[in-house]
Amino acid sequence: MSVLEFDSVTKTYGEKKALDSLTFTLGENKITGLIGRNGAGKTTMLKIAAGFMSESSGEVRVFGKHPFNNLTVSANLIMIDNDMNLPAALSLEELLEAAANFYPNWDMKLARNLFDYFSLHPKQTHAGLSKGMKNTFNAIIGLAARCPLTIFDEPTNGMDAGVRKDFYRALLKDYIANPRTIIISSHHLNEVEDILEDILLLKDGKQFLHMPVEELREYAVVVSGKEEAVNSWLRGHEVFHKSEVSFGRTFAVIRNDLSDEQIAAAMKMSLEFSTISNEDLCLYLTSQEKGGIDDVFNKG
Amino acid sequence: MILNSDSMKPIYVQIAEWLETEILSESIKADEKVYSQYQLAEMLNINPATAAKGLNILADENILYKKRGLGMFVSADAKKIISVKRRNQTLKSLVAELVREAEHLQVTEEELITMIQEAKREMKGDT
Amino acid sequence: MMYLTKVSLWDVVKKQFRFKLKSFRGMFTSLMILQVMALLFSLSGEGGGGGGTDMFSYDMKLYSGNIITAFMMIWALISAIVVTTQAYRFDDYTFVANRLSSHLANILFLGWASIIGGITTVLASQSLKLSVFFLKDREFVESQPLTVLQMAEGLAATILYLFLFTAIGYLLGMLVQRNKIFMVIIPGFLFGSLFLNVLLASESTLVIDIGQLFVRETSFLLFTVKVLLTSALAYAISAWISNSLEVRK
Repeated sequence: MSVLEFDSVTKTYGEKKALDSLTFTLGENKITGLIGRNGAGKTTMLKIAAGFMSESSGEVRVFGKHPFNNLTVSANLIMIDNDMNLPAALSLEELLEAAANFYPNWDMKLARNLFDYFSLHPKQTHAGLSKGMKNTFNAIIGLAARCPLTIFDEPTNGMDAGVRKDFYRALLKDYIANPRTIIISSHHLNEVEDILEDILLLKDGKQFLHMPVEELREYAVVVSGKEEAVNSWLRGHEVFHKSEVSFGRTFAVIRNDLSDEQIAAAMKMSLEFSTISNEDLCLYLTSQEKGGIDDVFNKG
Repeated sequence: MILNSDSMKPIYVQIAEWLETEILSESIKADEKVYSQYQLAEMLNINPATAAKGLNILADENILYKKRGLGMFVSADAKKIISVKRRNQTLKSLVAELVREAEHLQVTEEELITMIQEAKREMKGDT
Repeated sequence: MMYLTKVSLWDVVKKQFRFKLKSFRGMFTSLMILQVMALLFSLSGEGGGGGGTDMFSYDMKLYSGNIITAFMMIWALISAIVVTTQAYRFDDYTFVANRLSSHLANILFLGWASIIGGITTVLASQSLKLSVFFLKDREFVESQPLTVLQMAEGLAATILYLFLFTAIGYLLGMLVQRNKIFMVIIPGFLFGSLFLNVLLASESTLVIDIGQLFVRETSFLLFTVKVLLTSALAYAISAWISNSLEVRK
């Protein structure tokens, strides 16, 4: 059974389409990274999955049920995001106890250990925490709840580098011990990609890519060399991005589906091949125009 | 083992190569159990699926074999398979690169051989 | 194999109710403050008179718990409105909830608050009586004797009134959540009808008529039925209105 299924889901806010016939299926017990530029529809998609919002059209299924306003889905899913609402009257300690009361799989030992490790104080209130500490606390709730579908929307915002690392490590360890379906959206693919199994890339409210992270690494390749040489060799290739570096050199990100002859031809023209990090690749894949910030200045 | 995420090589390939090195140096001997995908995932801080992919490469090459419900074990001729493979692939491509660079710098064949011999002598002196 | 937790609506409502008892505890602080204030206001008396002849003169003052009750009604109304605000509504969805469970837990909580409010109002009225006994320079204190049944009915009526006010507050709050224009319309309507009352020097207006429906009721049983039906209606309309709101943003 698929845990999460979107079938040509569209969500409109007035004139704007936040999601545009989005279709994908998430299998069970995988960690999926949700990647996309701001406004690509990540948060909208997650909120629809969590049952907070209803879709304008299309079909959404979580555990085979329509999530909106559904109690069973709500009991088996937790969404951790930056504007999570927690009552101001309760101390952190009381909030942990409240969460424990709601989720049957809740692991209080894990919650308390993480709580102590990240130096949170039981008597503090949520409103009194800094942004990073707030998100740390929210993340602890997300981990300890052990929901069959756990969603983290930008969980590490405001956390310092050390805490981010620790959080992802804690997530991985707990996932290994208690496999479940996890979605993490992040702007920083490079710090999360190692623990991901799949990656789902959104662009303009549509699914752009959905594949294992390890395949993404081999999805594209960078070719660089003298401008004319690159341009003439590129003909007939699928180019994701092209820009000038300097000294008349150009580099292009292209689909990695080259034949031996094509590579040999490139070698002859003394073009060079290199790989590209997944984070950079995603940026290029989702940029609006072919080119980059430099082109803005070159327009004159 | 330290993973290099900037490397050209995918992580699962790095894992496979690391395990090969462990087998070659007999840190893991024939018919011994290798790390499970979960142990690797935890050790290396990676997704278990990625670790499994690394193990599966070795299983496909008969370097490892599966025992149902028990895990993966080093096959009897694992060392032989690895060294043949490395000779044919890794070493060959390294040599090709070496020759290409030498050509580029107009180093003659004799000079190149002398350099190799020197490097070998230095390595022996070090150990 | 995926194991899904099965939940029953009632189970979730109970959990949310317990959660709300903690997270809304500020309301009981405001209740205490209001009662102390109401008590102080009441001590100056509500009305009275005096008179005399050459031989003697008298002063008369009337003390009652009406101010305390009025304060509590406003408290009930405002507490219910607060519960409908976005921040409080969204709190529910951080953990397990759907709309129905959220409304039911709110109603349960506001019912509980009405009971606490009712009991403390009656107690405060009693302490007003005692205060008057001891604090005031008096020759005669005449207090209405009450039977146990009357006391119980008085308590029940106070609780029912407070519950009615929570229901009205909940409805008003939900209307405002639906459309901010109600923030202008509702007070406009209320004050407008009161003004009309004065301007036209008429005997009654709609708002007062509705009030009379409850105040004039002499049968306690009928009064109970009226209050509960009206509250149920107000809560049901609120729930219906909330269907057009997003569960959470």
